[in-house]
Amino acid sequence: MIDGQYLLRRIGYSGAAFFVCVSITFFILHLMPGDYITNYLLSLSNTLPKEVVAQFYQQYGLDRPPWEQYLIYIYNILQGQWGYSYQYGLPVFPLIMEKLTWSLVILLPAVLFGIIIGIVLGAWSGWRSGGKKDLALFNFMIVFRAIPEFWWAIMAVWVFAFSLQWFPLGGFSSISVLDSGLDPWDVLYHAILPICLMTSFVATGNYYVMRNSMIAVIGEDYITTARAKGLDEHAVLWNHALKNALLPMVTMTTFQVAGIIMGNVFIETVFSWPGIGLLTTEALTMRDLPLLEGIFLLDALMTIGAMLVADILVSYLDPRIRMGGQ
Amino acid sequence: MTRNILLRVSVAILFLYFAVALLAPFIAPYGATAIVGAPLQPPDSEHLLGTNNVGQDIFSQLVYGSQVTLIFGFCSALLSVSISTCAGIVLGYYGGSVDEVVCRVLDVLMPIPIFPLLIVLTTFFNPGVVQVSIVMGVLGSIHGIRLIRAPALSLAETPFIEGAKSIGASDLRIMSRHILPNLMPIVTVKFVTASQHFLVMGVGLSFIGLWDTMTVDWGSMIQNAYSGGALSLGLWWWILPPGLAVVGISLALALAGYSLEESFNPRLEVNRI
Repeated sequence: MIDGQYLLRRIGYSGAAFFVCVSITFFILHLMPGDYITNYLLSLSNTLPKEVVAQFYQQYGLDRPPWEQYLIYIYNILQGQWGYSYQYGLPVFPLIMEKLTWSLVILLPAVLFGIIIGIVLGAWSGWRSGGKKDLALFNFMIVFRAIPEFWWAIMAVWVFAFSLQWFPLGGFSSISVLDSGLDPWDVLYHAILPICLMTSFVATGNYYVMRNSMIAVIGEDYITTARAKGLDEHAVLWNHALKNALLPMVTMTTFQVAGIIMGNVFIETVFSWPGIGLLTTEALTMRDLPLLEGIFLLDALMTIGAMLVADILVSYLDPRIRMGGQ
Repeated sequence: MTRNILLRVSVAILFLYFAVALLAPFIAPYGATAIVGAPLQPPDSEHLLGTNNVGQDIFSQLVYGSQVTLIFGFCSALLSVSISTCAGIVLGYYGGSVDEVVCRVLDVLMPIPIFPLLIVLTTFFNPGVVQVSIVMGVLGSIHGIRLIRAPALSLAETPFIEGAKSIGASDLRIMSRHILPNLMPIVTVKFVTASQHFLVMGVGLSFIGLWDTMTVDWGSMIQNAYSGGALSLGLWWWILPPGLAVVGISLALALAGYSLEESFNPRLEVNRI
């Protein structure tokens, strides 16, 4: 159960952590070598007109001292004003939301299916730990996870898109989008391969934690007690083992859901999917500071929020854990 | 396959990779960036794995690339594990207010998303693999400190530590001779898994092009081949070698990690058979 006062302190603490996070990222980003206007002008020609650079600095307030920029930034954030992207000239927040929607198309189903599949397989494997089938599945998962994500993605593109030609090579839509507008089925057809890949990555991660948790739980005394009472295996599994083994999954899955916000830069690169991961790398190479700050702000918000939510959820679900009290 | 054989096989594979990286100048027939033939030649006796789109020898690039990738993976893992081990032991042993303060600071640092931050920090140290691995090691150690601190805390309360104190052993001696050896299993496993993690992450960073594009390593080789259309042209010798090299060492490290974990953790072993 949750002690009200402790909860308040915990929320205040999360707020402080968020503030520190935002401040650190602000200074790191502003100290980053190189800036947008220099990179951009040098990509157009070899000359660098001083007046243009000076005007750009003045327009975006980059000529002021860092602490002043920082105060203005914090003031704007508190007003809900996230600034304007250098390269797009658009407000940062709607821009991030648009790219995020594309990431969600892949990540939302992938994380949901991944969590379910991972938990089911992990529970099954842990319940039968030591058996031949468990070992086979476990070893398969080790091998699957050891191979980098982008390599799986490249191999999937090679096999399913080039050789078998079941799926498109990448992108989010066919060229017909120019004539007939965006067709949800067409987008789904483009998204199936990345969704399947992401699902397997999420599922393997959850499989391990669930299997280990299940193994730890079936070694506990209360499982022996349940069996000694004469309960059948079915009841032991569903009423005693599974419920307890699921507890560590609460924290893990909360973080996975929050992590959606960062996209997956490897999958997005390989499939040329216009998501938030690609936006981040693009903003980095272009030195688009307001956009980067916006992305980091959202990341920090989601991660810190997830920590808080996970703590509260776990203490509700497990009466043995009391937040705050000893 | 039993655990022991698996462990030996993976260690043998790791030694092979190290040997290649160390002896790169003797093994590689050409320089990593030297243009030594016609572009896109299929493998033959002159170019063991063919050439890429500008006529560089892929086998030589593969051999030299192992240096960058291995240095990066192992340096950052070594640094991160050393920092978290030292900090974890000191915090766990002394406890008290320092422990309290550091844990609060860690709590604040933990939610900072590491991966994007790492990408930003790599821009500060553009050409240096070693500098980037230092940044990666320091950032990566944040999560490890707690992992080491918890068992160190409970070890500090055990009778044999009390015994060592009572015969007048210094704090430094207790930490290095009594606490550290007892933590070695955790530290070793952590080091192996961290190496795998960092190595793959390094190749990944280089693959998405956030590394200095001039260094030749497996990630940039895959990136070149992938964006250069190796798949659509069916040029398997261009894209497969660097990818399989990463897969090989990553698998070896992962299997070594699991085998070590099992041999150190009797409970897991019981459950396996």
